[in-house]
Amino acid sequence: MHGANSSDNFRRVLGRVNRQDFVGRVPELERTLAQASPKSNGRGLLLLMKPATGVSELLRQTYDQLFNQRTDVIPVYFAFTRQDTSAVHAAIEFLSSFLQQYIAFRRNEPALCDAALTLQDLLVLAPSADLLWIEQLVQLYERVRSSNDKKELVRLCLSAPQRVPPHLGRSFVMLDGAELAEDLNGDVVLGTEILRVFGRSKQSFVLAGLRRQILEAAHNAKCNFELLDLLRLEELTFDEANSLVDHVARRQQVPTSREVRDLLVQQFGSSPFFISAFLQAAREKNTALISYLDCERLYADELLGGHLNHHFQALLEEIAPELENRLMLIKLLWEGSATEEKTASVDSWRKRLHLSTDECEDVLHQLHIHELVNWNGATIDVTTGSQTWKDFLKVSYRLSVLNEPRALVVADTIGDALKRAPHTMSRHYKRLAQLGLREVALQFDCQRVPEVLFDYASFAKKFKGVSDAEVLAGLESESVRLKLPQTIHVASCLSFNRDLRQVCEEQKCVVVHTFDDGIYSDAQEVIWLIARIDSKLEVEVGLAEVWQERLAELARAHGFGRHRIWLVSNEGFSDDASHYLEARNAFCSSERQLALLIDQLAMTPTSRPTAIEASDEFLIVLPMGEDNELLAASTVEHIARRLTFPPAAINQIKTAIVEACINASEHSFSPDRKIYQRFRLESDRLVVTISSRGILPTNVGSGKASTTNNEDDDATEERRGWGLKLIRTLMDEVEFERVDEGTSLRMTKYVRNGSV
Amino acid sequence: MDISSVSDVKSHCVGTTAVVYASDYLNKLTGEKIERECRRQLAQGCRALVIDFADTQLVNSIGISILLGIIDVAEKNKAQVVFADVNNQTVELFDMLGLTRHVALAKDEQEALLTLSTTVSGFDSTPTVH
Repeated sequence: MHGANSSDNFRRVLGRVNRQDFVGRVPELERTLAQASPKSNGRGLLLLMKPATGVSELLRQTYDQLFNQRTDVIPVYFAFTRQDTSAVHAAIEFLSSFLQQYIAFRRNEPALCDAALTLQDLLVLAPSADLLWIEQLVQLYERVRSSNDKKELVRLCLSAPQRVPPHLGRSFVMLDGAELAEDLNGDVVLGTEILRVFGRSKQSFVLAGLRRQILEAAHNAKCNFELLDLLRLEELTFDEANSLVDHVARRQQVPTSREVRDLLVQQFGSSPFFISAFLQAAREKNTALISYLDCERLYADELLGGHLNHHFQALLEEIAPELENRLMLIKLLWEGSATEEKTASVDSWRKRLHLSTDECEDVLHQLHIHELVNWNGATIDVTTGSQTWKDFLKVSYRLSVLNEPRALVVADTIGDALKRAPHTMSRHYKRLAQLGLREVALQFDCQRVPEVLFDYASFAKKFKGVSDAEVLAGLESESVRLKLPQTIHVASCLSFNRDLRQVCEEQKCVVVHTFDDGIYSDAQEVIWLIARIDSKLEVEVGLAEVWQERLAELARAHGFGRHRIWLVSNEGFSDDASHYLEARNAFCSSERQLALLIDQLAMTPTSRPTAIEASDEFLIVLPMGEDNELLAASTVEHIARRLTFPPAAINQIKTAIVEACINASEHSFSPDRKIYQRFRLESDRLVVTISSRGILPTNVGSGKASTTNNEDDDATEERRGWGLKLIRTLMDEVEFERVDEGTSLRMTKYVRNGSV
Repeated sequence: MDISSVSDVKSHCVGTTAVVYASDYLNKLTGEKIERECRRQLAQGCRALVIDFADTQLVNSIGISILLGIIDVAEKNKAQVVFADVNNQTVELFDMLGLTRHVALAKDEQEALLTLSTTVSGFDSTPTVH
């Protein structure tokens, strides 16, 4: 890099903002830059964007970085726009942009990127080393254009970057707005052509577009996914979005208060697109955003006629070009989202829109990829979409369908937004103050944690009124541990039963699908139903009963066989409530217990395999058979001697390892016939993990006996089960688990002052 | 005393007692070799078995399960079994898996033979080669 990050030398080329004002997408910027490096080896990167999360500036910033680096990577950025009327038109625009940016780069003249230049101008400006191939390209282009073969012309234009002679550099093409290319069907399906041309170019590229659309296009183009990387762009985090508001407001010279900044972030769901558009509107209208009223007045203006309105209007016009259809669509969308009915049938929509099946599916497909509805083929869920989209729908419905007076709609919109703002912020502040159940549940991964954290009565008895330091010490010595399951999916209970929204907020009740021991079988599947109960005092038995029954009913309604109810409240539960829940095998905890659990989860290593990192860790891989377990035993002997294990303990470890190796060899149908052994020395213990690939018979490790009819076989089988028995006796802690396509046995031996 | 070696397993007979020597690692393969040798000795009329573990450093559970099989076979043949010169770690394993309930332990081969001489009628301390 030649001063790429030095503000003195760095020139803004396509970027709309300076590098230092580009906030919130730093890891993504590094990732797209990495795609341009030779190490990416000609791979494509699909940037999968959630609607309105903003990708264009990320690509423009990538362009500027590469332009300033002045290496052999020649950046090319092209954004499809709604002005592109056909695939051919878009492809020609691409060719023109490519040549212009190429020559700008080669001449090191950023200004050329924005100049209005014809192909002839470009030929004049081309450096002499490039003249020949550019002339040939232009001649070829003119010949193919006159032949009227549209597909050939599109392919020629799109493949132009591949014609750069290798000694002059490598093009790195970034295409923005793939969803727009998809709409330019005509004779050539441009989205598919793009993926075909670039997917087979062996040159690194980036294709950015809506996540639902771009993956579908890649499948349609039969892309080789082994040569494609995926990067998902979600909303910004709260802190990133705050920073974005600060930066944009400063740049646009819009005075803002902290309160409004926080409100903007929440109201727009941390969407960079909405936030930037809104602050731009504030600048254009010379409006300071100091109070909620300032903010919501401008919001109403924007929904009725500003950037936000333009954004959604353009989208709707694209989806339903006919006014009549568009109005009906607005009616269907708004009425659907405003009623209790979550879904509507495709057939009912088709009839009301007066469209053929194909036309109706086109409309639904567009709405679906923009995530304005969820369409699964038969039914349409219209409750999705951002709050801003819903507000836009509402004002459009009232103005265009109901023909209500504009002044009334404006006043109501401001009023509704103002009434909603404190609730929005209060929910946000509550979320900040409370630990997220979803996040906690997502961390469950077979860790062993003190069981008392799930039993409020026992916890209160032991630790109520005790300092945090003492509680931590107490938990450390807790011998009764609960092995958490492995979480595979977490969703709000509202996703299972919308009626529950009347009694709790989305994030306060979650349904967690888990497997005990990380073993994926019906017997090990457990669904945790976790709810946080609002209560300033200990929850009494009546309220505990209501919640226990509510969640049990949810479990029954959805056929959750094994389930576990866990209730959390700020101040815990009364004795009666605790006993009531205990009798029903339900867990209950206070917020303090939950906080301690989160600490424990952060400290407790998962029992799942991790990469070798520490210098006191060793990994050996042995082929199964040939008495190779002796090699493992010999190795562990040397390693164990580094701690002060007595000889007898070393022998126990050796025997355990031998048994573990035999177990791995005998019971796994291992495809590679190898045993992976990891030895980790800690200050007071040796942790040995023996794993192998292959599927294990269901009786092994589960403690279940095998079934056989022969008596002798029974005895032999029973004796063969001695391996695990020995291991459990010889080692201090043993955890047996199935992992993806394999098994893992984790054994720990503690050093105990020279004694075994 | 003449020591024979059939299938890599050393053994010899003292009267009607067969002394079989286990190798340094008792696993499935070496266990099965010992088992075969013990069956052979019993078939030839031995009335007692001494299995000598003096060289044995490490045993595994499969090896131990085979030893139990040998004890079963010996019981069916009304023959006694004594394990000699078993190191402490291996004794610990035998204890864990219940072997010591079915078999006598002796400090060494001599003690084993002595034990048997007092319990097996017709015990003859003259070495015999089979």
